[in-house]
Amino acid sequence: MSQRLTALLTFAAAGLGCASARAADDAAFTKDLTATIALQGQPCSKVIDAKRNGDSDYNVTCQDGNRYHVFVDPNGRVVVKKL
Amino acid sequence: MRQTRAPLPSCVSVSSLGSWGSMIERARLPVWALSAGIALVTSAGCVHEPVGAPSSAPTASRPAPATAPAPAPASASPARAQATAPATAQAPTAAPPASPAATARPPTKPAVPASATAPAGNATPRTSPSTSAAPGTSSASAGAAAAAAPASAAPKPAATPALDLSSLEQRLRDTKAIGVFTKLSLKNQVDDLLDEFRAYHHGQGPSTLTQLRQKYELLLFKVLSLLQDADPPLAAAISSSREAIWGILTDPQKFAHI
Repeated sequence: MSQRLTALLTFAAAGLGCASARAADDAAFTKDLTATIALQGQPCSKVIDAKRNGDSDYNVTCQDGNRYHVFVDPNGRVVVKKL
Repeated sequence: MRQTRAPLPSCVSVSSLGSWGSMIERARLPVWALSAGIALVTSAGCVHEPVGAPSSAPTASRPAPATAPAPAPASASPARAQATAPATAQAPTAAPPASPAATARPPTKPAVPASATAPAGNATPRTSPSTSAAPGTSSASAGAAAAAAPASAAPKPAATPALDLSSLEQRLRDTKAIGVFTKLSLKNQVDDLLDEFRAYHHGQGPSTLTQLRQKYELLLFKVLSLLQDADPPLAAAISSSREAIWGILTDPQKFAHI
């Protein structure tokens, strides 16, 4: 019984570690998007959701309700369009 | 015939696991070894890439902006000014053109010129802004002055900091304090500012030097605000190099070498 419990706890710990790593990556990415929108002079308190449309192409929802289309155009410029 | 075995307290009773169980039982693996193995496999499965992270493929495959300067020569210190002041910006576009697969890997380290691989120890020393306020002072002249001064006759330190732009550039490329999109956005703005400086030096730009200074300061503040919390040493190094970079930007001859 204790052996099964040990295995179960090991699985749980691994799962938690996986989830925390993913959460950290997501947090870093939303922070990146928030900074990008701010650099373009658009208001966005904090990015709370980012839906990926394609490579370097996202629809972003901010905490204050603003929504933006953030993408890289063919000229290599980051474009932030308000939706 | 029933097979009897002595119970192994430290081993797993895995008779219900079929062939794997029998293998484990024959091997008499302790439970901690089994658990560790499972955890290792599970953790390996967790090695993932950021779900939302932008791939480097599009930035790598896109054509370089027309305003992007050509790679600076390795020996020209002023020539690195554009890449450093503009800072980070060159990182995304310099990414390798390959990798068509859209991986969500963080920005790959671009191919950096040989001069840009200076060790971090060559970072620009932090000095007060007043000491670095001499515009147009290059690292070469500072180094020459420091070398020419006799050791016994120069008890005071050099007043002008050495501007190691290549080191600053490399540190900006490598820093994790700024994300991919942010670095690319900064690069766009740096290129725009350099275009305005270029037009100013050709007498064609609408901007005055005062306006250019304001834009330069604003861009620098943006970079510093992004760095000050996550990479304070780099922010301090850039801040201390502010006037030296400005001196390069405003000197037509030095700017031409960028």
